[in-house]
Amino acid sequence: MKKLISFALILTLSLALFAMLTGCTENATTENDPVETSDAAPTGEAAAPTDEDDDTGQPLPVKDELIIGFTSIPTHFDPLQSGSAGVLLFSSLIAADADMNIVPDLAESWEISNDGMVYTFNLRDDALFTDGTPVKASDVVFSYYTIMNGATSTDLSIVESVAAADDSTIVITLKQPRSVFLLTAAEVYIAPEHLYNDDFGLNPVGSGPFKLEQYNADEQFILTANEAYYAGAPAMKRVVFVKMDSEDVRLAAAQSGQVDITLTSAVTAAGVGEVPGYYLLVEESVDNMGIALPFTLNEGEINEYGAPVGNDVTGDIAVRKALSYGIDRQKICDDALSGFASPAYSENDGMPWSNPENKIDYDLDLAKKYLDDAGWIDEDGDGIRSKDGVRASFALLYFANDSVRQAVAHATAQQARDNLGIEIDVDAAATADFAATMYSTPIILAWGSSNPMTSYYLFHSSNAGKDDWYNPENYRNATVDSYLDQALNAKSLEESYEYWKKAQWDGITGTSLKGDAAYVFLINKKHLYWAREGLNTGRQKIHAHGDAWPLVANLKDWKWEQ
Amino acid sequence: MKMKVLPAEKRPNRRAMIGIVCVLIFLILITLYIVGASMNELLFEPDFSQKLLPPTMKHPFGTDFLGRDMFARTIKGLSLSMFIGATASGAAAVIALIVGIVAALGKTWLDHFLNWVIDLTMGIPHTVLLILIAIATGRGITGLIIGISLTHWTGIARIIRGEVLQIRSRRYITASRKLGKSRLWVAVRHILPHMIPQFFIGLVLQFPHAIMHESGLTFLGYGMPPETPAIGIILSESMRYLSAGMWWLAFFPGAALAIVVLLIDKLGESLKLALDPASAQE
Amino acid sequence: MRTAAGAIGRPLKNVGIYLLRGVSLLLASTIIAFFLSSIAPQDDPIHAYIQANPGVSAENVARMEEYWGLNQPPVARYVTWLKNILSGDMGYSTSNRRPVAEVIGVRFRASIALMMAAWIFSGILGFGVGCIMGRFAGRLIDRVLKRVCLVMCSIPTFWIGIVFLVFFSVTLGWFPFGLSMPIGANPDEVSIWQRLHHLVLPALTVSFLSFANLALVTREKLADVMESGYILFAKARGEKWILRRHALRNILIPAVTMQFGSFSELFGGSVIAENIFSYPGLGSALTASGKTDLPLFLGITLFSVLFVFCGNMIANILYSFIDPRVKRGD
Repeated sequence: MKKLISFALILTLSLALFAMLTGCTENATTENDPVETSDAAPTGEAAAPTDEDDDTGQPLPVKDELIIGFTSIPTHFDPLQSGSAGVLLFSSLIAADADMNIVPDLAESWEISNDGMVYTFNLRDDALFTDGTPVKASDVVFSYYTIMNGATSTDLSIVESVAAADDSTIVITLKQPRSVFLLTAAEVYIAPEHLYNDDFGLNPVGSGPFKLEQYNADEQFILTANEAYYAGAPAMKRVVFVKMDSEDVRLAAAQSGQVDITLTSAVTAAGVGEVPGYYLLVEESVDNMGIALPFTLNEGEINEYGAPVGNDVTGDIAVRKALSYGIDRQKICDDALSGFASPAYSENDGMPWSNPENKIDYDLDLAKKYLDDAGWIDEDGDGIRSKDGVRASFALLYFANDSVRQAVAHATAQQARDNLGIEIDVDAAATADFAATMYSTPIILAWGSSNPMTSYYLFHSSNAGKDDWYNPENYRNATVDSYLDQALNAKSLEESYEYWKKAQWDGITGTSLKGDAAYVFLINKKHLYWAREGLNTGRQKIHAHGDAWPLVANLKDWKWEQ
Repeated sequence: MKMKVLPAEKRPNRRAMIGIVCVLIFLILITLYIVGASMNELLFEPDFSQKLLPPTMKHPFGTDFLGRDMFARTIKGLSLSMFIGATASGAAAVIALIVGIVAALGKTWLDHFLNWVIDLTMGIPHTVLLILIAIATGRGITGLIIGISLTHWTGIARIIRGEVLQIRSRRYITASRKLGKSRLWVAVRHILPHMIPQFFIGLVLQFPHAIMHESGLTFLGYGMPPETPAIGIILSESMRYLSAGMWWLAFFPGAALAIVVLLIDKLGESLKLALDPASAQE
Repeated sequence: MRTAAGAIGRPLKNVGIYLLRGVSLLLASTIIAFFLSSIAPQDDPIHAYIQANPGVSAENVARMEEYWGLNQPPVARYVTWLKNILSGDMGYSTSNRRPVAEVIGVRFRASIALMMAAWIFSGILGFGVGCIMGRFAGRLIDRVLKRVCLVMCSIPTFWIGIVFLVFFSVTLGWFPFGLSMPIGANPDEVSIWQRLHHLVLPALTVSFLSFANLALVTREKLADVMESGYILFAKARGEKWILRRHALRNILIPAVTMQFGSFSELFGGSVIAENIFSYPGLGSALTASGKTDLPLFLGITLFSVLFVFCGNMIANILYSFIDPRVKRGD
């Protein structure tokens, strides 16, 4: 008897301990209020409120410091080795503005030869590196060649030669016309030749709006305003980027008032509701999410990576069409993402090279008709269709730890099962596990960039079935290939738009949902951030995929409202 | 963590009580396991119209961000944890038993070697070794079971080996050897039977450790995939909602795990008293 | 069972045997670590890189493969790696773009502070609570504390860490939510108090489990000692301060030994605590590098083995000092 009593005691105690520790958190939201609101007042206090070092304590009239709860801290800042933060510390010849127009940066003006192969840039003369030396044509030549000869992700293989005609004139010759070259050049940042060495990545010197003050690997980095920036010094004088790689930590940091702005997701924002003292900053993006559907039937093929290829369900165009038309995208946005998303119909909705005809209407009857006509019928009354003994059933993988993709996958699966009779088995997988499965199993993938090159990688057959995530579905279409080649080799960006659009839908075929629908686009994410009241993040370029770096691309325009 | 020995006059009664406690706990656990293992997955399907609800009669543990019923998910998770814990600690106990028997053979070099292997296993921090094995086996239930059993056999092995060394020096063993019986014969006929209680006690005592390591590893992202209703996943998902005041998402699954661990621990202690009264009086 | 020949000579000899054993163990651990991680279907650095930077051309991929030496077979890579280690070069961390030794050095300083804080804290408190329980064995305070300890043993470390974070940091605001120093501070100017302030929650988390274990063991030991003949005898003679004079030294050394023997759990606990509190130590680097950065992962694994080995060796030396019956160094 005594045993039982003591055992009961243990149980009660365990419950009591849990209740004590966790029950208290019930008060979290109510107890927080006074603390948070006092923090929110623009007092000029930038350091964490709980720390003793009261940051010299002098109340500044205008707050000019900022703490960003960031996802990751770069390992280095060398722009010639694909270093991050290029746009903050460095300048490039040209830049793309919020409306995707090419605008001057280091180059005041430029000319393109008639054959689209020779680009001549004229440098401005007032741009200085932060060591005080002017930016010269030789620095540009050096930077381009370092990238071309190095191991980086910036693809300059199209460039034949780069030469300095004089101190302020650069001539870049291409091997063949390349319509997107200006967009690529906008991401080539210029480093000073005379300071470039092996340590440059941790001691970067650039001509951008900020300079690096301090770097603590994997913990934080601090930027200070470059007062000599040719376009005017930024309003934020000191910006701390602090690493918070988990969504939970970022939320905790905002809730305890220790960051000025930090990333969040639709799932968290909807679940948490409000963070006192903060507002939810919502930015539009082309960060689209969709399902890559294996394009071919499973004929036992094993690819060069030893993985099976093809899927007997999604290899049937009727199934892909049914998923395209029979999924209510707005409902996914509302269900899974609490409205923090909009329906997506292509990889580049809203971009100048996007075909307006990509948009389709939700049409459940049409979707069912596709399936019925193709012979997908629910024979055994279990609610799931089948055809020739093949059940309309497939697994849908998403990257573990991405709760947004998880929610989208489940919302899609629910609709497909209830409305279309297609069974989708949602499963998470570690990045590593995709190598063996992604050529035969549908995956939730996300893309979106401000460069139409993405469409080329996604759909050109030269890239089909490779292990770089672009085209695991093995999509090939000769007509699309030729449009994409014409688009890429057009003499100018404007000239290429027509071909990009035709690749998406030319009235007969294309990559879009009206065409082959190898990639069923579902939603465009809205990028969400907790921002402290009073923080103005300026007008942002429509965000590309990934919500960290696109946010701070215009950091030089940020300011605190009075 | 031995139980305090009660006064002598209560002992006979006490043995019976211990037996009842063992059976009772065992029944509770096995029921929990069967309910969880046979549970229809539709019971915790996502339902977006039921997102993040507080506990009600319909959802005693509330629902999560996909509208899944947390009660069903927790029960399922517990049965999964119990399966992994039982399989892994069972495998660990078998390894330990084999090692113990080999030690009983009395070959010095073999004993030295096994000791070296034990030291090797104990020398790599369990968490690190578990991550290594998880990486090698590609994460998931198999990896967890292999990892936990490979890291948890040493504790039992040491106890069994110590016991073997003690028994080996007893007279009847020496006599048996003198009578010309082979080492193996002696090991199997005389020593093995003595190891059986140790085997079961070790198995049950490792069980809670196995479960805690399972959930911890899953929390670190090297355990089970997030779609699995595992307690480690449920708890790590609950973290962000905890600060938003949704304590129930973390409280009930956490308390349920702690209770199961306590129950198994209790079972182990009781088993130890019931099967091996000698050790209880040390 | 052999008995010890000399109280001093024995431990010294043990050290020698131990070092020899240690080298063989370390070598075996490197082999285990290396081959377990290279049979994995894991992402190599190239994949991680491509994913982070879409738009990499095939030529560039080939160049990067060469740069990172990924074209060699695993055995060749292991041999190269081991040779380098022996010459003091632990390789180059692909995710940090710095030498592994340098990364480990920086990280270890943060981790050792955390682990030592937790170690001392759980040692003192666990021993103290154990003494109270043992001294009053069977009484109410003993029964209550014992059950609390048993419950503490059943709570997963990561779970209690989360509760600490939410309760003490978010709700009460007493402690920072993570990191090892104030946001935006210069590490050279951070005071020891600020560092300690950031240490408290992770250290509490790490010590939670080992505290309860130590308390329970100390309690058993003390309860045994208190019932032993000589204590009863001393009591009968009416001596005061029995606990301090007789019992304490009998239980202190086992407790210290046990603490040194718990380096493995200490390291494991810090892996979890560092991940919860974004604490930039070895543990958070380990879990991050396990997915993409083989050289760093292997370096940390090796380092953790060395760390645990040192703890075990100290425990063994201490043990052979106090218990002459120990016949071998195991």
